[in-house]
Amino acid sequence: MIEIKNVTKDFPGNNKAIDSLNLTIPDGKIVGFLGPNGAGKSTTIKMMTGILPLDSGSITLNGFDIEKNALEAKRIFGYVPDQPDMFLRLKGIEYLNFIGDIFEVPKEIRAERIETLTKQFNIYDALDDYIQTFSHGMRQKIIVTGVLIHDPDIWILDEPLTGLDPKSSYMLKEMMRDHAAKGNTVFFSSHGLEVVEQLCDEVAIINKGRLIFYGNIDELRDEYHTDQSLEKVFLELTDDA
Amino acid sequence: MHKTWVLIKTMLKMQYSKAGGNSSQIWLLAIVIIFSIPLLALYIGILQNLISELYNVLQPLGQDSIIPGLLFLSIHMLLFLISLITVISAFYFAEDIESFIPFPLKAYQLLLGKAASPFLYLYLTSGAFFLPAFFIYGMVSDASLIFYFYGIILFILLPIIPFTVASILLMIVMRFVNIAKNKDRSKVLAGIFSLAFIIFINVVIRLNTNSNEMMADLAKFIQEKDGLLQMATSFYPPALFSTRALNETASSEGFLFFLLMIGLSLGAFFLFIWLGELFYLKGVLGLGSGNKRKISQKKMKKQITARPVWLAYIQKEIRIILRTPTFLMQCVIQSLFGPIFILILLMLDTANLSGFMNLFSEKHSILMLFIATLLILGGNATSISSISREGKSWHANLFLPLATKQIFYSKILTAWLINLLSIILILIIFIWLLHVPGEMIIIWLILALVANWFTSSLGTYLDFLKPKLNWTDEQEIFKARMIAFIALLLEAGIFGIIVLILWNIGVLEGLYTTSFILFLCLMAAIFTVQLLLNKKIKANEHQHI
Ligand SMILES: Nc1ncnc2c1ncn2[C@@H]1O[C@H](COP(=O)(O)OP(=O)(O)OP(=O)(O)O)[C@@H](O)[C@H]1O
Ligand SMILES: [Mg+2]
Repeated sequence: MIEIKNVTKDFPGNNKAIDSLNLTIPDGKIVGFLGPNGAGKSTTIKMMTGILPLDSGSITLNGFDIEKNALEAKRIFGYVPDQPDMFLRLKGIEYLNFIGDIFEVPKEIRAERIETLTKQFNIYDALDDYIQTFSHGMRQKIIVTGVLIHDPDIWILDEPLTGLDPKSSYMLKEMMRDHAAKGNTVFFSSHGLEVVEQLCDEVAIINKGRLIFYGNIDELRDEYHTDQSLEKVFLELTDDA
Repeated sequence: MHKTWVLIKTMLKMQYSKAGGNSSQIWLLAIVIIFSIPLLALYIGILQNLISELYNVLQPLGQDSIIPGLLFLSIHMLLFLISLITVISAFYFAEDIESFIPFPLKAYQLLLGKAASPFLYLYLTSGAFFLPAFFIYGMVSDASLIFYFYGIILFILLPIIPFTVASILLMIVMRFVNIAKNKDRSKVLAGIFSLAFIIFINVVIRLNTNSNEMMADLAKFIQEKDGLLQMATSFYPPALFSTRALNETASSEGFLFFLLMIGLSLGAFFLFIWLGELFYLKGVLGLGSGNKRKISQKKMKKQITARPVWLAYIQKEIRIILRTPTFLMQCVIQSLFGPIFILILLMLDTANLSGFMNLFSEKHSILMLFIATLLILGGNATSISSISREGKSWHANLFLPLATKQIFYSKILTAWLINLLSIILILIIFIWLLHVPGEMIIIWLILALVANWFTSSLGTYLDFLKPKLNWTDEQEIFKARMIAFIALLLEAGIFGIIVLILWNIGVLEGLYTTSFILFLCLMAAIFTVQLLLNKKIKANEHQHI
């Protein structure tokens, strides 16, 4: 479970990039995070993962405060950033091994997971190459693999499906469903409304740093008295005019 | 023309732009200025003395033209060496060229854009070395206004010829080295090649300066007016032309030499553009940087090993340093370059040196060895790029479950380990070439290892104050950042003063007491840096960069 309480974030020249945000992401559900470009999705996720400091408020992950118990909190989530351009000078296998060392994953489990996952994602043959030579999607996959290796309770994914081929995207979605079905937390941001519609149990919609809706998709339709497509609802909801 | 100008401006901006100066920058700048003023005064004073002495001796003999002659000769030489290093990094190591390739630009436009940054360096260098000497010579020799006018124009032309020669050489080399098929590897090869070339030139010059022959030649050339100049610059006409232009400002001959220099520079410039069109893109757009090969099941199993976190982290750091051509050059090879350079020069000269250490007392010897070592360690770029090297990967340090202190200490340890290479090299020099006694070597080694921790942690702390993470090319970490200079200035400044005091305190004698005081000072310095670092970490500053 992730609890975001009264979180505010200012950037120089952009006050209230996140404006007193309250959001609880329950266990056992896939929660989608929607909003137009610049709404504050990545900023929120970066605060959840300890990359950005909070200006006020608090965020806890399974009870661990990301600021006060940073190390404990960081051990229980896996994060896929929106830009997968990290550790380009390492080979794929070295990156996965590095992550394994940091999360202290036992050697045998590590080896087995690396093999199954990378074969599923079709990057096994590229493991001995530098990540620099990987395509965007391949980089994404190696980072997702890195997350799955240490099997965290909470998944936090920033636009994980962008750039994945249909097969990999299908697989990742299946994995998300499995993970949530086991009673874990899955939180991901996305621009793909169809994905959200077929995958998510709940959605959180944010605009200009404020939460404007939280609930399931039927509730969203009810609230706006319409059976229009999700796209129309979303456009209406985030319309600034 | 307009496009070229826009390109130059964009490329410079990408390299030198800063996020905006804040307070920490200002006090650093203040320190730099305070430390540099006395040095500057000293520099000008020495130069003034040297030139006027030389002039007073040489002028009656009609040989005063050798002064600007040697000046031009050595500046051209210096600029050539600097060009080799800056050109190879700007033209070939920097990857930003790839983002300009898709634009409808000609090779020469890219080349000019790329040349802007090396030129900036060349002008800074010639400004620092040529201009003061030039003006002092002008004053000493009571020169006319035309002298200064010619001089300024010649100053503007100064970098063109050395730059052209260096870059043409490199473009041809790179065109063929790149056949090695691996971009990273050929970059490193070419980098080592150009450093080796510099050493080679020095060795050749030293071997050719036979002092007996020189004296005989000297006696001959000194008979005729400007004979020395002719002798010194005979193998390098640009220096001769520039000097003749300056020295004969009154006659039309001087004017002709002046025009000749302008023509020569223009010619060099166009040659550069023409050859650049021919060779540059072919060399830079060599081939991909990866070598794809399938991994065997067995081999992969072998690569999976469990390590403690700190070891995994340091291994990652060292891998990245060794694999990134820019980091390898800046952090490893360039810092070994100094000691190797000294090593080779000493080897040519061993006869005079074995007794060198006997000239000084033990106390003075250890002080000298210590300060020299500190300078070499302080010059290493590993610590001052500790944070900045991460670039876009920095965020991973924040979301991975790593204790912040552990991150910083692993980085300091990495810098320390890289510096061990220099220490080992110096150790070899001390043992085999300088024949430093065993007792002193052990004491020196202890001091060096501790000093290494000091420079490594101070560098890391300074990088932490103002890291550069948003680079698109690794070069940007090392350029246009005062940090390397500040680190060295702080280290050399603080310990320079301490060494100077210890040197002059008469009551204090003996190897052990002196070394012990140095050791205590180092410990105090390390403690201070650690305190500052921990304070920043406690304040969660690492999240704010
Ligand atoms: N480092 C920063 N400095 C200043 N402003 C920032 C910074 N990072 C984000 N912002 C601002 O905060 C706001 C939210 O940005 P954020 O990246 O969270 O958007 P997003 O919802 O993830 O958008 P996208 O869908 O495009 O990924 C934007 O207005 C952005 O300009
Ligand atoms: Mg985003």
